[in-house]
Amino acid sequence: MNKILRLSFSLKNTYRVNSILYSLKQLPLIKRILPDMLYGVTGLKIFANIVSVFIEVFSVFAGKLLYFLTMVAGAAALYENAPKERVFLHILLFLTVIGSFMNTHIFNPTRDKYYAVILMRMDARGYTLVNYGYSVLKVIVGFLPFSLIFGSLNGVPLWFCFLIPFSVAGAKITAAAYTLWDYERRGNAYNENKLSKFVWSIAGILLAAAYGLPAAGLLLPDTASLIIMTAFIPAGIISAKKIIAFGSYSEINRELLSQMMTQIDTAKQAAKKSGERSISDDTAVTSGRKGFEYLNELFIKRHQKILWKAAKSVSYVCLFLVLGALLALYLAPQARGEVNELILNWLPYFVFIMYAINRGTGFTRALFMNCDHSLLTYSFYKQPKFVLKLFKIRLREIIKINAVPAAVIGAGLSLILFASGGTSNPLNYAVLFVSILSMSVFFSVHYLTIYYLLQPYNAGTEIKSATYQLVLSVTYLVCFLMMQLKMPILAFGICCIAFCILYSVIACVLVYRFAPRTFRLRA
Amino acid sequence: MKFIIEHLSKRFEKKEVLKDISFTFEEGRIYGLLGRNGAGKTTLFNCLNKDIKSDGGAFYFEENGERRGVNAEDIGYVLSTPTVPEFLTGREFLKFFMDINEKSVHNPRPIDEYFDYMSIEPEDRDKLLKDYSHGMKNKMQMLVNIIAQPKLLLLDEPLTSLDVVVAEEMKQLLRSLKAGRVTVFSTHIMDLALDLCDEIVLLNHGVLERVEKSNADNAEFKEKIIAALREDGHE
Repeated sequence: MNKILRLSFSLKNTYRVNSILYSLKQLPLIKRILPDMLYGVTGLKIFANIVSVFIEVFSVFAGKLLYFLTMVAGAAALYENAPKERVFLHILLFLTVIGSFMNTHIFNPTRDKYYAVILMRMDARGYTLVNYGYSVLKVIVGFLPFSLIFGSLNGVPLWFCFLIPFSVAGAKITAAAYTLWDYERRGNAYNENKLSKFVWSIAGILLAAAYGLPAAGLLLPDTASLIIMTAFIPAGIISAKKIIAFGSYSEINRELLSQMMTQIDTAKQAAKKSGERSISDDTAVTSGRKGFEYLNELFIKRHQKILWKAAKSVSYVCLFLVLGALLALYLAPQARGEVNELILNWLPYFVFIMYAINRGTGFTRALFMNCDHSLLTYSFYKQPKFVLKLFKIRLREIIKINAVPAAVIGAGLSLILFASGGTSNPLNYAVLFVSILSMSVFFSVHYLTIYYLLQPYNAGTEIKSATYQLVLSVTYLVCFLMMQLKMPILAFGICCIAFCILYSVIACVLVYRFAPRTFRLRA
Repeated sequence: MKFIIEHLSKRFEKKEVLKDISFTFEEGRIYGLLGRNGAGKTTLFNCLNKDIKSDGGAFYFEENGERRGVNAEDIGYVLSTPTVPEFLTGREFLKFFMDINEKSVHNPRPIDEYFDYMSIEPEDRDKLLKDYSHGMKNKMQMLVNIIAQPKLLLLDEPLTSLDVVVAEEMKQLLRSLKAGRVTVFSTHIMDLALDLCDEIVLLNHGVLERVEKSNADNAEFKEKIIAALREDGHE
């Protein structure tokens, strides 16, 4: 047992340490400093080990803290009229039952398990038991501080706060023992990452009971909660015997882990499939154009589903919302003042909305998966003049697609502004409309530019550029932060228009300078 | 016409993959490029196709004693896994290719004639390429690479995953195409190399060397190749 413990931990740790080193090697600037042989450098290894221990400790506590903070105590605090202690215990009880079978830990198929049990042929029973024991220990240790803190804050007796972690562990062990018993009976290996509809619906019902019943004023009496939760502990002890005595760990592990490995293979296939699915099979689609215009027209027409159709449905939804808002303003004149105020100061908010409805990422993804991925292997396609010609055509297309919903939103906002009482400066209407349009142009230019400059995919259609992902995250973050900003239309709108024009010009210059060199398949 | 490589080198961080490649390829011959796994065959092709930048050296054509640089349209590069734009039909792909290469395709033929030439059946010509079989995709890739009649045709393990019939068709095709150009064919299958190629070139220790066949029979020649590749001692 001792040996298995040591081996399985060192394996898990090696896997994690190497993952950390690998992700370091993906960072834009740091990767230049790191040597090629980084997996053999002692200093780096020690560093990664420290990070690994930190992650482990963090994982023990962070999840539990969040769990109590939001799902249990945080949620309980929302029911202001109910007794605190009863709501807390009520929610905790139902969530514990859900967690016991949604998150058993015993058969969570992960890669390090695959390596240990399948590739290195470790003793499956010993391995599973050791890891399971450890994860139960983690549950208890992780729960203890927070059950004490949040429990006592909510008026739960201290002795019971001590029992909560053991009760949660007991519930999990009982559920795990049940799945083993079920396997013996029906031969069904329980994969907690692939739950059946039946299990999902039970979880849904229990979740509704956890949060819905208190809202309806129905609460379990606290003695009942206490008794049931306490009963989980002896149930867990009895179940633990079953878990130790169970004889088919080897079979069950093989079954689950082989499922997982085929999942990984099929994930790649699925990505390819979904790319191909977005191609319409309609060969009646034709084009009378020539050369790159011909290529582009066929591409756009065969990708209607993810391009024009998507943009059109967004436009209809926006149109509908605008009409709804206009109607509301007509029916409820008292709201006009407030709405007018909102429109005049909330333009930055629309940066995020324009970000969210932009088709840029979908467009570049489809461009790569279904078109550039293959054509970039032909040298004729990579000639600088062709790269730039196609860039121009594509930029025009994506701007056109994104402009439709943008025009609806821009015009709609101006109308709402007018209907809600208007503005003293008529320039506001124009700036509102133009700035929304320029945001849409900005996102179109932005996505296509980073695609051409960073071309993040390799021949296996995996994203290989950390810079690309970084740029995407920063884009998201900036747009998100814009929601916090409140500025008058004129000030923000004019800044926004100026920025978009400047950005587009710079982006196009960069593409013209660098894209012939950067628009390649990654090695 | 000759294709000449001089002192081509390429390293990845500390690993020197191509050390000092110098070689003269003659028009009208098929060269079989052999090398062990990781010897740098694909790297060499990628450098010649300008997919990756080489660190040093040069390569060029020599026609009637005059040097000229290599342009994109001079090279056809056929990869082992055929990649074709899935959203086009075979016919559309060819039309697109012919459109944008108007200038470099001399005496263009009707599209169906090309399909006939590659024995791609009429009912398949207007299907989307995503529904083509592996062999048919391979034929399309080959076709696009030879229509423009490139002076240099690079083939990276092109026949390995084809069924016997298509493989035989391709071999015939390559033989019929060899006049007027340099064909370099990389493979791991020795019999294929001996059967198809006029010369065997080894990529070993980052340099290219010709293996003289002189009057050895096939078995002796094979032994010689294996021995040359094994020499370095990293078994």
